[in-house]
Amino acid sequence: MKNRGIHMSTLLTISNLAIVLLVLSGAVFLFARTYQQQLTGTARTNSLRTVTQVSSTVDDYLAEINAVMRTLEEEMSDPEKQRSDFFDVFLRTRPDVVAVSTYDPAGNLSHCYSRFGPPTGTRSDGINLSLDLQRLLSEPDGYVSAPHVVTFFQDVYPWVITVVSPLAEESGEHWIALDISCSDISYYISDSGIGRRGYCYLMDTDGNIVYHPQQQLIYSDLKTEDSTRIATLEDGSYVEGMVIYAVKTLSNGQWRLVGVSFLQEFLAESLRQLGTILLILAALVLLAALLISAVMSTVLSRPLRDLEHAMEQFEDDADRFNYEPPKIAVREIHHLSVSFRDLVLKVQQLMKTVREEEIDLRKTELRALQAQINPHFLYNTLDSISWMCEQGKNAEAVEMVNALARLFRISISRGHELIPIRSELQHAESYLEIQAHRYKNQFTWSIHAEEACLDYLCHKITLQPIIENAIYHGINGLVDDGEILVSVREDGADILFTVTDNGSGMTEEQISAIMQKDHSDRAGIGIKNVNDRLTIYFGPAYGIQIDSEPDRGTSVLIRMPKVREETDYEKK
Amino acid sequence: MRKNKALLLLLLVSLLLSACGQAQERSSPYRIYLISKSTSTEFWRSVFAGANAARAEYNVELTICGPETEEDYLGQNRYIEEAVRNHADAIVFSAISYTENAPAIDAAAEAGIKIVVIDSDVNSSRVSARIGTDNIQAGRITAAAALDTDEAHLSVGIVNFALVSRNGEEREIGLREELEKDPRVEQIHTVNSLTDHVAARTSAISLLAEYPEINVLIGLNEPLGVGVAEASETLDLGSRVRVISFDSNIRCIDLLRSGAVSALIVQNPYAMGYLGVETAWKVLEGQSFRPDQLIDTATSIITRENMFTVEGQRILFSFG
Repeated sequence: MKNRGIHMSTLLTISNLAIVLLVLSGAVFLFARTYQQQLTGTARTNSLRTVTQVSSTVDDYLAEINAVMRTLEEEMSDPEKQRSDFFDVFLRTRPDVVAVSTYDPAGNLSHCYSRFGPPTGTRSDGINLSLDLQRLLSEPDGYVSAPHVVTFFQDVYPWVITVVSPLAEESGEHWIALDISCSDISYYISDSGIGRRGYCYLMDTDGNIVYHPQQQLIYSDLKTEDSTRIATLEDGSYVEGMVIYAVKTLSNGQWRLVGVSFLQEFLAESLRQLGTILLILAALVLLAALLISAVMSTVLSRPLRDLEHAMEQFEDDADRFNYEPPKIAVREIHHLSVSFRDLVLKVQQLMKTVREEEIDLRKTELRALQAQINPHFLYNTLDSISWMCEQGKNAEAVEMVNALARLFRISISRGHELIPIRSELQHAESYLEIQAHRYKNQFTWSIHAEEACLDYLCHKITLQPIIENAIYHGINGLVDDGEILVSVREDGADILFTVTDNGSGMTEEQISAIMQKDHSDRAGIGIKNVNDRLTIYFGPAYGIQIDSEPDRGTSVLIRMPKVREETDYEKK
Repeated sequence: MRKNKALLLLLLVSLLLSACGQAQERSSPYRIYLISKSTSTEFWRSVFAGANAARAEYNVELTICGPETEEDYLGQNRYIEEAVRNHADAIVFSAISYTENAPAIDAAAEAGIKIVVIDSDVNSSRVSARIGTDNIQAGRITAAAALDTDEAHLSVGIVNFALVSRNGEEREIGLREELEKDPRVEQIHTVNSLTDHVAARTSAISLLAEYPEINVLIGLNEPLGVGVAEASETLDLGSRVRVISFDSNIRCIDLLRSGAVSALIVQNPYAMGYLGVETAWKVLEGQSFRPDQLIDTATSIITRENMFTVEGQRILFSFG
């Protein structure tokens, strides 16, 4: 039974689970997609906002530098003494300024004011990176340089950005250069992270990096930035793969700020959360499915299995089957169970009715048969009596009449079906007596009964058909004296009757013919009737068994249970 | 059937728990030790700057330590032991002694610590990755800088480390290999000095006194390079002796500007520091590297001519 397919509850659980998971994953997929799109949008907006904020701070700073430049330009008209006093204060208040230098039209250094004191380095090799005359040819209104080191000094080479402006003076001091420390610009840009790993960098319009939070990495070739390509893009935000670029041109028009952020880190966190939620949901679904399956099992599949089992039992033994419908089950199954119980009861009732009807039928049949034997036998017996009277054998005739009377009295038995064995033996004795007379004492007979057996009941006319058979088939036509032996004894809970003769015996064919023939060739109860009656009343374990050997005799064994009262038997 | 369900449930719960556990695990950063040969030279300061940049980028807990002098391998071994005691996940190491540091490194590796070697190698089979200058190649480059002259007769003086340090050895091998190929080179003299510019200067001066014909003088690392440059300056040799120094010490840069030094052989210490920590992180994350293949950081020749080009500035001067 176990191997026949899968259990219903398992099937239900799996299908539940499959549907829920399908719907769930579909929903999650859609959700994740929408979510990702939205997140990307948000990340772009964030990125652009940060870049705009940073660019406005840088703009402010540059505006401030411009303002400083204007102040410095004005200051340059002051005499030398005043200037140095001014620069003393100026350099102290503006730590971002590394040096201020002025040049004649040919680019020779006129003055240099610096926090590192007077210039010491330039004289040795004449290299000065703070002024690019070449560039001033094309940009006579000044420029903002790319990062470079300051070469005025020995021992110190700070990285700066130089702002160069023309001065009003035609001769003498013609240019002014303001070196601003890169580390101060970094202050505005380095900490402007977008997300955990995102950052901003500053480049010029050609994509040369002006300032990058990881400048040294770039200088050491450990990191590259795709700035030349980014430089071709308009201001705005761009998603390329998992990277978001936000570009904003500063108000000076020369520099552009680029924000780089990584979509991954926004998504990763969100998707991880989503994954956790999904996992928890899946667990809950699974749990629910298991619960459902457990419930299903109690209310659906187990009752069904029980019902199936009950039906099998019913098939095996309908008589003694007892069925109680389950208490916990879905309504359909409950109905099914109740219907099954009703069915069982009905079938059992029907079976009982059929059996009773059969018994009734047999009873009627037997009664009819009993009624049938009488005239035939009576005629023969009366013929014998009349013959005895003619012969003047009055005493014998009286005996015969008495026997006949006893026979009939017991046959009638006031309508009882069962009579004490004692009476049955009397009946047999009367019959034997009559037949012995009729057969002119061709045979002798004897009856041995255990005293204990005599009060048990048996069907009336049990022995008579057997004895009749013994006389007709065994003794009749026998040359020697026949002998018929009737005995009754206990055998455990059963009573055993034996009728033995030493007559001509029977062949196997004859035995089976007797056992199967409905009626003996003559009217009356046959051996088959007796056997049938025992089997019907007491079950297949009881009935008649014939042992016979040709020329040696026949022994008929009748087995029946001990019956005390007629009601005993009715019950059975 | 029932048992199966219970098992399934158990599996699920454990899965959930492990997912949570995993999320927690990543919150504690890796603990990485950087043990240098010295803490005072600009070379090492640049290494530390690079290491710190990687520390910030990879969110690791970085401890930087190193002895006062570049001869104190015992001090390095003590730092290695300290790293073991403090349950470091990885050590980024530059060995003073190729042999004497090996047992300590092996012991650390035995304790489950990943070893990444930068700059100078150690004689251990337990190293996960090696990063730094290809020192043989650096030696050859030094030779090329030394030979870049019109002099017909060359006599070379080399000031090298006193202690057996792998990178010094290898540099000299590469250097001599190339020098010996040039017919102009008539003599090569090596003097070993403590890695300290004062000691190196003294050694260089006595080497020059002993072999006055020397017209090329080479210092094979930063302090030695400063030493020979200072010797040249002190003796006011001018252009008579071609001085080749190592690394971008500010003294050397000034002397390069003034002409006392002809060329600087500049390594990329920032990259060593950065890559050292980055590689340690990658090793801890499960990546594997071939320790027999050096991850080469660039080596350049800087002269007066190229020192203030855009490239030259980037190589010589560290940014902020």
